[in-house]
Amino acid sequence: MLAVVLGTALGSVSIPPAEVLGALWRGLSGQELQGNDVIVWQIRLPRVVMAVVVGAALSVCGGAFQGVFRNPLADPYLLGVASGSALGATIAIVSGWPRTTIPLVALALALLAVSVTLALAREGRRFPPTRLILAGVVVGSVLSATTTFLILRGEDRARQVLAYTLGDLGFSGWADVATVLPYAGVGCGVLILLARALDTLQLGDLTARSLGVPVERLRLLVVVAASMATAGAVAYVGIIGFVGLIVPHVVRLAWGSGHRVLLPVSALMGAVLLVLADLLARTSILSQVGIVTTLLGGPFFLYLLRRGQHD
Amino acid sequence: MKNLLTLTLTLSGLALSSQAAATRYPLTLTDDLNRKVTIKAEPMRIVSVLPSTTETLCALGVCNRLVGVDTFSDYPQQVTRLPRVGGLYDPNIEAIVALKPDLVLVSKYGKLEGPLTQAGLTVVAVNPETYEEVFSKTLTLGRIVNREAAAKALVTQMRRDIARIEILTKNAARKPTTYLEIDPTPYSVGPNSFMGVLLTKAGARNIIPASMGDFPKVDPEFIVRQNPQLILSTDLKDLGKRPGWNTIAAVKNGRVVEIPQALNTMLGRPGPRLAEALRGLARIIHPELLK
Repeated sequence: MLAVVLGTALGSVSIPPAEVLGALWRGLSGQELQGNDVIVWQIRLPRVVMAVVVGAALSVCGGAFQGVFRNPLADPYLLGVASGSALGATIAIVSGWPRTTIPLVALALALLAVSVTLALAREGRRFPPTRLILAGVVVGSVLSATTTFLILRGEDRARQVLAYTLGDLGFSGWADVATVLPYAGVGCGVLILLARALDTLQLGDLTARSLGVPVERLRLLVVVAASMATAGAVAYVGIIGFVGLIVPHVVRLAWGSGHRVLLPVSALMGAVLLVLADLLARTSILSQVGIVTTLLGGPFFLYLLRRGQHD
Repeated sequence: MKNLLTLTLTLSGLALSSQAAATRYPLTLTDDLNRKVTIKAEPMRIVSVLPSTTETLCALGVCNRLVGVDTFSDYPQQVTRLPRVGGLYDPNIEAIVALKPDLVLVSKYGKLEGPLTQAGLTVVAVNPETYEEVFSKTLTLGRIVNREAAAKALVTQMRRDIARIEILTKNAARKPTTYLEIDPTPYSVGPNSFMGVLLTKAGARNIIPASMGDFPKVDPEFIVRQNPQLILSTDLKDLGKRPGWNTIAAVKNGRVVEIPQALNTMLGRPGPRLAEALRGLARIIHPELLK
């Protein structure tokens, strides 16, 4: 809550707190907007809300992926969602299509990338974790190479592509928030409902099976739900790194690793982190939210490796 | 004493003009990568890997010495028939070497100088970036290819053409506050950048302050707050649909102008068509002043 207030109150244009509150009131009550109200209500607030939605979605998906693959280094982009999305965005940008089509193409290719990964990893009716991860890496590499090729072909638009692949909440409006919300909401909702089953899965596939958990179906369901949520988020704001990786670990350190607590708290923490990161991005020279999160995340990642967490 | 001074001045003036007549080789100079390069003899087979350099060489009358150009060199027309040696990020080193050039003019960026120098070629980096550098680098290129007099004449001509337009725009009654978008991320230009200087000379008031740097990524709320009277952009699609932008004066009054592709190319090229680019920009900002 505090983060939301801070994020709304601060920005590259300084607006006194009273005016911010006034703008929020006028926005909520549907009155005529005046002066700086437009900035607060139509630009800053949707941007903050978008950060909340995306931060929460990435963190929940990251936590769920780490649980389902029993791998502390898993993140929501594991199965090629990010590279699919980046390729889609690049195609739209290099072809010079209207900006509004960028997320749509990105979303389509993100979902396509995950489908290809799943198809490659399938063994009959099973989806072994190792095969999923490997297939994800391969799909990701192939798509990234394609993206790089397109960027080189359309050099004068390289900056736009770069901004997208670093994550940018720049022009998030209410309409964008409304589009992302269902993907993120449904995806994360399903994951939180599956929390108890994810807990059982931590005991190993065999034990989980003997407790009556349909392991394969559960794994597939988690992957699909998380990919939906991630694809929706990424399509609109680009590839924001590390949030989905860091936040669940921080929550585990503080609140333990039961998924029923982990997932909702991760959502909250992720939302706060991304709002603050975007605030930094808007008001400092770092300028891209993805740069901020990665600068925070890089050292943390190394710390994880140093601790040598292995399951 | 006074006479002596006059004589000295006259003599040094003569010395200057004769210096302008011919470059002496071997010519040693420090290029834009701070490398000391020696050009052994007058270059006759030149590869240019920068469109602005290509244009300058042709404006100096040595277009026929070009044996290869980069992917983006497209002016004047005759260079489009030359072999292409790739772009800044995907240069074809082998193709450059195969052309057996006695001089390769590269950009500061792209790290071409290393491999080309190793291949035994003479490489000079020339990269005009500021407004004033457009003129100084023209003179440098003139010296390199033994066309110093032509370079001086070209610079004088360019400055004259620019002054003619500036006289018109300087006293314009209304100078619109302007936001120039170079790409929809959005990126804009600061007043000290090459494009920013042209924007000011064309009779606009740039909403971007110098403190933001030359090519800043702009926070959209800043633009809404500045409320520019005119928006120039390379891509008008969806511009009015951006959150909150419908409140900007330029959007409300239909003063959102798309920069034509040809003009945009010229604006991004610190070369001999500077005055032409300025005229195009001034025509958009002050149609009432320029027919």
